[in-house]
Amino acid sequence: MTYSTPEKGCVAKRICCLSRILLTGTALTIFAGQAARAVPPRINIGNAAEAGDESSTGVFGFLSNWRRTANFLGDMWGLRPELGKYGAVLAMQETSEVFGNVSGGSRRGAAYNGLFQAVLQVNTQRAFGWYGGTFNVSMEQIHGRSLSADNLQVLQTVSGIEADRSTRLWELWFDQKFLDQQKLDIKIGQQSLDQEYMVSSNALVFANTMFGWPMVPSADLPGGGPAYPLSALGVRGRYWLATPLYLIGGVYSGSPTKHVDGDPQQTNPSGTSFPLNRGVMAIAELQYVYPALGAMVSPDEVEPLSHVYRLGGWYNSEPFADQYWDNSGTPLASPSSNGNALAHRGAFSIYAVMDQMLWRSHFDPNRTINVFGRAMGAPQSSRVPIDFSMNFGFTFKDPLPYRTDDTFGIGMGYTHVSHALAKYDKAVAYYTGQYSPAQTGETYLEMTYQFQYTGWLQIQPDFQYIFNPSGGVPNVNNPNRRVHDAAVFGLRTNIAL
Amino acid sequence: MRNMYLKKWAVLGLSFGAVFVAIIARAEAQPKGFLETIHRHATLASTSPGNGDLNPYALFVIQQDSGVLHKNDVLVTNFNNITNLQGTGTTIVAYHPETGNISEFANLPRDLPACPGGVGLTTALTVLKSGWVIVGSAPSKDGSTLTKGDGCLIVLNTKGQYVTAWKGPLINAPWGDIAALDRGDSATLFVSMSGYDLPGPYVKDPVTHYPPIIHKATVLRLDLTIPQGQVPVLQKQTVIASGFSARADRDNFLFGPTGLALDTDGTLYVTDGYDEAVTAIDNAVSRTDAVTRSDDAVGRIISRGGLLNWPLAMMWVPGHHLLVSNGRNGQVVEIDPVAKKQLYAQWIDNDQAQQPPGNGDLFGLAMTPDGKSFYYVEDDMNTLNISTP
Repeated sequence: MTYSTPEKGCVAKRICCLSRILLTGTALTIFAGQAARAVPPRINIGNAAEAGDESSTGVFGFLSNWRRTANFLGDMWGLRPELGKYGAVLAMQETSEVFGNVSGGSRRGAAYNGLFQAVLQVNTQRAFGWYGGTFNVSMEQIHGRSLSADNLQVLQTVSGIEADRSTRLWELWFDQKFLDQQKLDIKIGQQSLDQEYMVSSNALVFANTMFGWPMVPSADLPGGGPAYPLSALGVRGRYWLATPLYLIGGVYSGSPTKHVDGDPQQTNPSGTSFPLNRGVMAIAELQYVYPALGAMVSPDEVEPLSHVYRLGGWYNSEPFADQYWDNSGTPLASPSSNGNALAHRGAFSIYAVMDQMLWRSHFDPNRTINVFGRAMGAPQSSRVPIDFSMNFGFTFKDPLPYRTDDTFGIGMGYTHVSHALAKYDKAVAYYTGQYSPAQTGETYLEMTYQFQYTGWLQIQPDFQYIFNPSGGVPNVNNPNRRVHDAAVFGLRTNIAL
Repeated sequence: MRNMYLKKWAVLGLSFGAVFVAIIARAEAQPKGFLETIHRHATLASTSPGNGDLNPYALFVIQQDSGVLHKNDVLVTNFNNITNLQGTGTTIVAYHPETGNISEFANLPRDLPACPGGVGLTTALTVLKSGWVIVGSAPSKDGSTLTKGDGCLIVLNTKGQYVTAWKGPLINAPWGDIAALDRGDSATLFVSMSGYDLPGPYVKDPVTHYPPIIHKATVLRLDLTIPQGQVPVLQKQTVIASGFSARADRDNFLFGPTGLALDTDGTLYVTDGYDEAVTAIDNAVSRTDAVTRSDDAVGRIISRGGLLNWPLAMMWVPGHHLLVSNGRNGQVVEIDPVAKKQLYAQWIDNDQAQQPPGNGDLFGLAMTPDGKSFYYVEDDMNTLNISTP
């Protein structure tokens, strides 16, 4: 379900929603199917080239050196070295996890969720002597089920890989570097914006979806925006303005699916929709990076610790539905409403992201403590369901002796339901007389430890506590009470194949 | 009243004059070092050859035409093979500045009978005036010190073909830059050896929980004679310094002394990576005994800590200063060895994908023939780069 497009089909959906609201007396269904989406665990392309050469001993030969190898399948019986001759790297990764809530939510239980990713990347210089080019194609196979949708009724889903079960094309692009010092690079093709924009590198260790693609674009953009598991056609440039400033920006299709109605993951099930009929999504981000190339360091001064600050914004030209009024000036919650939401042309958001190292051990420089923060808002709050979201947290890398690839993290996220939608909730209560509290904000805390067991296996225990799920909505199993705060435990594994 | 105005204008004029003179004086002041003259950093080429070898280590700029090599060509060794296993790289590539192309200069067999443990080409690389190429090998079977071989020094001809190899009890994982005193018909080489008694990377010191530090790394002097048109003959091997720190490492293969730079007075400067120091070995060309570890250092301490962060490669730069690449961040550090002072550092690799940025990326350094710029490699990107004014 989307709330960005007030065309006929969507209106029908909205009426359907409204009917259900009237039937259940809850505004919960406003977000049904609107699960936020995030970046899945990143594939380490470089890691894929680090496969051992132990496969020659037979079908299970890769097991002979299983602790050392960077990838479980080693060189894949010679396939990887063969691809390497042509400048190609094949990387595959399986993320499997079990999350369960021991308290809160609409019901208790556990769910298995999994994502398989495969990326083929070709360095054109290695392939045929063309300097600075990279070709990338990736796919996803999503399996299991979503605890957040089934048990928790939360906005900020506990896992960044939760999505509809499917096998789909993800990204398909070509990137070319230009100018001296590679000051400019242009990427063209099918792209997932969560890979480059609004990224906090320190936040990527966390499991909760909100540390990836944030709640504002996830909830507000058509189809959740061109982000995992979806993508959109577009072109983006990255230009090194001057030390230490970079500018990244792009223009993309306004929606990741051609279809106006329905769940975009269902209407674009294979990722091959390639829509160009749905308006424009424009985004730009200014990055301030330290250290900058060429920066001088004096022995007499305290050297600044590395940091990246980002400031950006996006605009989408698609029609956005008013969250309270229909196009006749009647509240949408009113029985006399025609169900056609007032249409607004376009919406925008601004954001800021910070990654800052706070401390580095002199004895073991891999050991660092970092802080990150990200905040974004959609000023035109009447036309979007979420008008603000933010994350904040700390990461402690190499926390135990000689555990250079482990990370401990503690973070939080907050998202705020727009005033227009909260007003709509009140109106539902007014018109139906049923329990429909006005949604406010949802907050969660997360604590996680990413343990690099071998080069190819990460094991990650995780704990999350969600306050006021969905900003305070009735429990579907007990419509006269809000969903209780939820405590969730999880275990994730990332396996580089 | 008029006098007051005059005074004000005079004061103002003098102030402007003073500021102007200060600006001019500053503009004309000599730079205190080399790094402040460097402003641009560019990628020149990929260092990965046809067989996919990775992890560029050593750099050497050819002094004169010799065989398939031409004056100003840049040689680069690769330490890893295509699967990025450390200690398995077998190739040397040549960068040709006129064309901007890279070609494969040498591709050695994975196993050489004369090279215990196989081939994994390190930062030890030099080309003699007579054209012979000498390169160090610190081999491994599985990319870690668990399967480390003793290694050897390999001699190649001007076409990059294998000629012979030197091995023996004084040669164990030739690791560091080769500092050379080349007289044409004879030469004196210095190479650091870092492999003695290193265990696998998973063996840990029970107290520190890190792999144990072994104080057995050495600097070996090799005295060669080079008969006209014939293969260099290794006449003598002398350990001139011993007791440097070395340590196995899961991610970095090993820590050990790496950078070597020979001064005109016969002093050899050494980067002692694990101890974060640059030390000096006096009379390195002529001494017959080894300087041993004393007061936590081998040799005279020139610089320790500060901006040094796992110092690796080292070379001379204008002003008779030393330039050192840091292994644990993307900086190069300039040191005045006479004043025993670190002047400053510059970020030449700010890759934020590493923590700290540039961690583990920098190895080889070499000045360009005009003495104004320098080459360096980034082993995460597998590229040859240049820093220029």
